Amino acid sequence: MGELEIEPEGKEIKTKEISLSMGPQHPATHGVLRLVLELDGETVVKCTPHVGYLHRGVEKLGENRTYLSALPLTDRLDYISSMSNNVGYVNAVEKLFGIEAPERAKYIRTIMSEMTRISSHIIWLGTHALDIGAMTVFLYSFREREWLLDLFEMTCGARLTASYPRIGGVRNDISQQFLDSLYEFTQQFPGRLDEYETLIDKNRIWLKRTKGIGVISAAEAINWGLTGATLRGSGVNYDVRKAFPYDSYDKVEFDVPLGVHGDVYDRYRCRMEELRQSNRIIKQCIEQLPPGPILSPDAAKFVLPPKEDLFKSMESLIHHFVLMTKGPLTAPPGEIYSASEVPKGELGFYIVSDGTGTPYRMRVRAPSFVHASVLPRLCEGGLIADVIANIGTIDIVLGECDR
Amino acid sequence: MINKKIKKIIDTIFFTEIIRGMALTLKSFFSPAVTIQYPEEKRQPFPGFRGQHAFVRDEATGKEKCIACGLCGAVCPSKCIYIYTKEDPETRKKVIDRYEIELLRCVYCALCVEACPVGAVVLTENYEYSEYTRDALYMTKEKLMDNWDRFMAGEKGREYFKKFWTPGKDSFRAYPGQPVFKRQGAGNKEAGAEGK
Ligand code: SF4
Ligand code: SF4
Repeated sequence: MGELEIEPEGKEIKTKEISLSMGPQHPATHGVLRLVLELDGETVVKCTPHVGYLHRGVEKLGENRTYLSALPLTDRLDYISSMSNNVGYVNAVEKLFGIEAPERAKYIRTIMSEMTRISSHIIWLGTHALDIGAMTVFLYSFREREWLLDLFEMTCGARLTASYPRIGGVRNDISQQFLDSLYEFTQQFPGRLDEYETLIDKNRIWLKRTKGIGVISAAEAINWGLTGATLRGSGVNYDVRKAFPYDSYDKVEFDVPLGVHGDVYDRYRCRMEELRQSNRIIKQCIEQLPPGPILSPDAAKFVLPPKEDLFKSMESLIHHFVLMTKGPLTAPPGEIYSASEVPKGELGFYIVSDGTGTPYRMRVRAPSFVHASVLPRLCEGGLIADVIANIGTIDIVLGECDR
Repeated sequence: MINKKIKKIIDTIFFTEIIRGMALTLKSFFSPAVTIQYPEEKRQPFPGFRGQHAFVRDEATGKEKCIACGLCGAVCPSKCIYIYTKEDPETRKKVIDRYEIELLRCVYCALCVEACPVGAVVLTENYEYSEYTRDALYMTKEKLMDNWDRFMAGEKGREYFKKFWTPGKDSFRAYPGQPVFKRQGAGNKEAGAEGK
């Protein structure tokens, strides 16, 4: 039927690439990430991430605060895992000062870091699934997260911005109620994980949306500087907790889960397995937790004197005043880099000290920033719907990315 | 091998994994709700919660405890505490004249509590501090002491300082009754978990 011809004169339909700005206020871009996408139909030709909407100058602010006052700044890097950022920071400063936290404090910090990992990973799981279209997981995962946040609140008084560790130890001791409740959590959590997996692990829509999407090979992942589960999904066995153990990680047993294909699904599997391992670490730490001091008694120059002594001993009072106003004046000059494994990857602090009470330079190696740079590599050539899956899978938090 | 294939075909035709998911949802449907209906139902924060500030009223004198040393202002990471001092004409001591906290800039880190050598400032359990104006959140000494009377006075305040005004002597040593893990009903349940 010749009449059906739409273009009788043989004119070609013209198509052209359009440019689409996704974010910074898009619900699926996890904060204020802006992606400028060049689209050919539904295919992404070019993807350019724009970062910096949440820039607060944390590094510069750190240079103008004493080592202690800079601690709350690190809460606000990756604000859903503040406790691990704090731990990373105090470990860096302790390394710089050449002091060590007591055994009990180290165990408490390990427990806290792993609780943070669980709470961060389940928020990741919930939002990632929500972005891809599975809403139920989000509701379940927040139930467990609430429990952990309650435990944080019980210990340090804050649910999100913890500021709990201190240089040379931790702020206050944990309570028996905390220990019992956390132990109960570790007993129940594996069952809850099974629930999440029932919902999505074999779900055909989930599999279609995640398998073979955002594939990155091991060599490429290393070249892009990826860390954390984003790297391990490609099968590279690198975990700061194993490679450079800090706190009590050398005293507990855990496995580092690895992926094979380096796609969204493998990274998802890695993180799910990490949740189980974190649970295992917490359980071991609780069982091994020794009694003892929570602030180093040998590092009197760097930790605050006990409050009871302030009006009994002149030195304590002077020391307290100096530490609070000027910072530790006996900080040794030098520079260090110290890394820790936060839920997102490797968080590094590079601190230069000039011997005064404030850092001369504080540089933060933020995993989210590095991971955001790999987005074009993952997205280009794929479909626009997969951009969302890719943003979710690299697990970025823009507070940390923009600093 | 063939069994596996048949199972896969059955799974594909009958949507087994989706039905399993739905069954879980149905199960949760009948379990008790975990949410709190906030404005009607309020949640009591744990002791030591870092909410809005209060200025401690000395039980003996009925006045503020502060000795105007300025440490809280010095340590504050957001520099939101303003301290103005004057000389007491009678005793010729430095006393506090105006003490103001700009709460909109505060990050609720509790470093001011830790810095204060006499325990004159605390964070209360008040977490409902949304206001319509900026002025309402610019705290003067009077407003802060009012907070103390409302939220912390009496036993609560004393408990707070005992537990959360750190570091104390106990931070530097093992003390009796320090929380450690106690195996409940040692044996049966635990042995099973460790056996694997
Ligand atoms: S809680 Fe922190 S930010 Fe707020 S006033 Fe005290 S020291 Fe400053
Ligand atoms: S509240 Fe405490 S730290 Fe602040 S000025 Fe008064 S006495 Fe000093």
